[in-house]
Amino acid sequence: MITKTFIKEIKEMVRDGRVKLSFLIVIILLGVTLWIRIGHYQNINEQYKNATITEREVWNGQGEKNPHSAAHFGTYAFKPKYPLSLIDQGVDKYVGISIFLEAHKRNESQFSAAADQTGLGRFGDLSPDFILLFIIPLLIILLGFNSFTKEREMGTLKLLKSLGINNWKWMIGKWISLFFPIFIISSVLFLTSGILLFNLNDFGIFNWSSLLWLFLIYICYYIVFINIVLFVSIKAKKSGISLVILLSIWIISCLAAPKAASNIAESKYHYPTKQEFNTMIMKDKRNGLDGHNPWSKQAILLEKKVLKEYGVDSLNQLPFNFTAYRTQIGEEHEAEVYFKHYKYLREQYNQQTNIYKSLAIISPYLPTRFLSMAISNTDYATHWDFSDSAENYRIKTQKFLNDNTAQNTKFGERGYKAKADFWKKLPAFNYNPPKLNNILIQNKSNLIILGAWIIFSFGLFLFNSKKI
Amino acid sequence: MLKYNFKYELKFLLRSRWIQLLYIILLIVFGFSVFNGKQKVDKIKNTIVAAEKQVKENDIMMLKLIDSIEQGYKVSVPRWTVPTNPMAIGNYHPRVAAMKPLQLSFISTGQADLYTSYIKPTVSADDYALNFTEMTSPIQLLFGSFDLAFVIVYLIPLLIIAFSFNVFSSEKERGSLRLIASQPIQINIWLLQKLGLRFFWLSIIFISTITIILLIVSSEIFLQPRIYITLLALTLAYMFFWFVLAFIINIWVGSSANNAVALIGLWIIFVLLVPSVLNQLGNTIYPMPSRTLMINEMRAKKLEVTEKQDEILDNFLRDHPEYATNDPSQTTGFYHRYIASQKLIKEEMKPLVNTFENQLKNQQNLTRSLKWISPALIMQESLNKLAGNSTEDYENYRIQVINFAETWREYLNTFLFNNLDFSTNDYINLPKFEMIRDKFSVTSAILTLLLISISLLLPGLVFLNKDFYFDE
Amino acid sequence: MITTNNLTKIYGEQKALDQLNLRVNQGEIYCLLGANGAGKTTTINLLLGFIKPTSGIALIDNMSVHQNSQETKKKLAYIPENLMLYSSLTAIENLDYFSGISKKEFSKSELETFLIDAGLQKEVFNKRISTFSKGMRQKVGIAIALAKDAKALLLDEPTSGLDPKASNEFGLLLQKLCKKGVATLMATHDLFRAKEVATSIGIMKDGKLKEQFKGDKISLSKLEKVYLNTMDYKS
Repeated sequence: MITKTFIKEIKEMVRDGRVKLSFLIVIILLGVTLWIRIGHYQNINEQYKNATITEREVWNGQGEKNPHSAAHFGTYAFKPKYPLSLIDQGVDKYVGISIFLEAHKRNESQFSAAADQTGLGRFGDLSPDFILLFIIPLLIILLGFNSFTKEREMGTLKLLKSLGINNWKWMIGKWISLFFPIFIISSVLFLTSGILLFNLNDFGIFNWSSLLWLFLIYICYYIVFINIVLFVSIKAKKSGISLVILLSIWIISCLAAPKAASNIAESKYHYPTKQEFNTMIMKDKRNGLDGHNPWSKQAILLEKKVLKEYGVDSLNQLPFNFTAYRTQIGEEHEAEVYFKHYKYLREQYNQQTNIYKSLAIISPYLPTRFLSMAISNTDYATHWDFSDSAENYRIKTQKFLNDNTAQNTKFGERGYKAKADFWKKLPAFNYNPPKLNNILIQNKSNLIILGAWIIFSFGLFLFNSKKI
Repeated sequence: MLKYNFKYELKFLLRSRWIQLLYIILLIVFGFSVFNGKQKVDKIKNTIVAAEKQVKENDIMMLKLIDSIEQGYKVSVPRWTVPTNPMAIGNYHPRVAAMKPLQLSFISTGQADLYTSYIKPTVSADDYALNFTEMTSPIQLLFGSFDLAFVIVYLIPLLIIAFSFNVFSSEKERGSLRLIASQPIQINIWLLQKLGLRFFWLSIIFISTITIILLIVSSEIFLQPRIYITLLALTLAYMFFWFVLAFIINIWVGSSANNAVALIGLWIIFVLLVPSVLNQLGNTIYPMPSRTLMINEMRAKKLEVTEKQDEILDNFLRDHPEYATNDPSQTTGFYHRYIASQKLIKEEMKPLVNTFENQLKNQQNLTRSLKWISPALIMQESLNKLAGNSTEDYENYRIQVINFAETWREYLNTFLFNNLDFSTNDYINLPKFEMIRDKFSVTSAILTLLLISISLLLPGLVFLNKDFYFDE
Repeated sequence: MITTNNLTKIYGEQKALDQLNLRVNQGEIYCLLGANGAGKTTTINLLLGFIKPTSGIALIDNMSVHQNSQETKKKLAYIPENLMLYSSLTAIENLDYFSGISKKEFSKSELETFLIDAGLQKEVFNKRISTFSKGMRQKVGIAIALAKDAKALLLDEPTSGLDPKASNEFGLLLQKLCKKGVATLMATHDLFRAKEVATSIGIMKDGKLKEQFKGDKISLSKLEKVYLNTMDYKS
């Protein structure tokens, strides 16, 4: 029974010109997008490699220079691109590609690709994630909207019922025949990208298990859609109505819900504007120690504290240069201010994330999108992680530079210059994205939501067997 | 025929609850989107007002300080922030260069979530490092915003499709078409009337719902009826296009399911595919140079420059005698060297920075010349323009801010290089920023939409007087 | 009133209608019998101008259907096999609409008269068509024909799916129209009804008219015999 239904359905699909055409279009689109993305990926990675090397050369070649001048001169941390961005480029184009690391200041990442694009960029990109998240669900709708309604319209439903068929087996046959082509199309895509990535030079941290997880996530997403499509097809009286209902579901879950979620998140837990954010930081910084200002109240307090600690009565007697020490303490205070404000941002972001999760009730698209980005290392969390680790590196760099001045100079000494080979001693910035295990743990709730969607949609579909 | 079609189409739409359903849907989506838009615009307005207020308060303090100094009192602020120093004014008392929202800004977010609404350029900041991007969660940027433009560009066509995909085919499938066709009427004209009436009713529903929502949320718009009418005309032209498309598909394609699939296919092409293909095309034909390489180049220049600052200053003063002080006893300090170096870097970086701007311009021109391929694109662009949030608006703003930053710097540099103090009398001469908006009109967009629609309708109209046959 | 001269319709290799010559005068009821695919519905479609003839000519009131489709449609009424009216409209609204779009406007009482003449009970005039049986819908169809003042009536399997009583009523109604001088062409499988109402009967096979009788010249059993013989005969 199951195989008979399967074979009949597949035959019908193969003989339907509409199905063939849409299948062909989807495959061509996937091929083209993959091809575009590979070129893009290789290009960006090459730039990243060159930029990192060049920037390090600039840093190393500063010559004799005061360490604090070097701190102001600063250095750049560049964000690498990860292999699976080939499939889902996530928020990559909306976050900057580099962070300027300088004294006293935590900078936001700069130069997002979106800012360098025309308004067209906001419509979306031709990339595999667009096809995977938007077009394939549409393909499922197209293949399955009349799966049951056509039997009703042609009267074959009555015929089948009179034969005393087992509803369950019949439905499972239909389910498999809808799942099969989708499974084939996604397997081909993921396998091709895996092989392509495996054969690219410097594919870095690509691993097959991430790809497999990504594949599983998408398969789950499609299963949810298949269940919904078949459920509606059972319930609807006519093919036309079934199609209209399914398209509305598609629009709501893939287009409207994410946008509405983003608006609700924005209005409930909004980010400060860049200027507001900077003003708040300035205020807090001013209340604390300014490493450059020896006359501030905080500076004088620090002076007293240090003198007492070392049991001396003048700054000249300290075993290190107090000015550099003060700069470092100021630096630490500023880092704390930044930490506090970024923590606030992060809290807002976490609250926003909760809103996205709660709206996932009406949209299986949302958990899938977040999981897909996370596994591809192109989500916002990865960007946070990168930006935090750049900040840690910045703080370490400042300490490295200030310590050098503190140890090599005396109080009141001016014009100290570190040796030309000193800069090389600073360890290079090295960023490793979160590991797959951690990502999955971090996204536990999204996994649960997607799992709930599968169970719920299977329930909807299968418990309707009696209503046919 | 029209009279009877009118009477009974209305009865049908009321009895099948289409009109009621459309009213409810449109009220909800318009309400939600306009409310959201309004909230965002208000937030932007408030931050600008707050920023300007803060500058005003700081100015009062600054003027007091200058006054005290001019009267010879000692002041207890760090040396480098003393406001008689022109560089202190330039760095610590910058002006607000804001891009104020327009009356219709709430209809489309456009690029407003990506770019910042105001900036305070200082003398020591690099122009090309002025960061114009706003601090928005990239998730929000990715998902976009549920604004009125989204409702109009994306959702209304889908409502039209659902409303009209089977006007003809359902009659055919139910069999009532045979009875209609046996009457002495032209079937194509009859179909045209039916769709025309649906267009008419949807327009009435659209106009009334949007008016209700605007009255509730943003009634001040009615003070400028021209803007309101423009918005209506633009949207109606776009809706007309989709009805024409539905008419053609109804004539050409067969069954309801096939009609729906064909119309949805066209929707995907116009709304999703064409824009991203054009975007890709723009990026391929006019690729943006790499920002990472730009950073590399800028860094190398900076390193080079710091090594020979004195030399640069000498050259600078030779090229700009207006800055050279007439008093040889005056010395040059850190800022003299810094400003001179910055200028040099800026000039040397100019060709590279310009390539970014030029490529963006090229991409924009390409889009402009090809946007007629997709009415959705025309519509989105026009709504962005009406909202004053389009890429061009922000590009324009950026250029004006950079010019203003230059003016700001020039004005204070004159003090610096002549070793003059900034005084209370100079305060009123401080440059101020006022964004000048480009004049624009969406008339051409409306005309383009109508032209596309009519040129699609014409081949359909040719068939109008032909006899209708069931088998051909 | 209804005439076909050598009317032929060919789909690809298949002759759906082959040189058909028919003539239905005013006040006549002509019943076309034949198996499915014999060409009955093709004939009606050609007379309605729904399809184009390959050769030959279809005439209504001596006007070519394909040269004057609007004029001829004014003179004829048509009731398809499964008459689907607008289910969300009432009987009287349907009648109003169908006569209205062909530029015939009537007052409410006039519309009611047509419905009464078509044999519909008054209580259902303002009920929605969705509640109607096939027989009731056909009565509305007849009312539309009456309102149109049709000279020719084309019927496609009008009695299939009707219960015997409704079928009988329908036959009586046709005869009433016939007396008013309407020419009726009716394609049917219903030998009994054909014998009851027809003034002429034709039997079709493979697109050809094989036999023709006067309705009152043949008994039902004879008709059945001839019909079955025609069907069995291999040409």
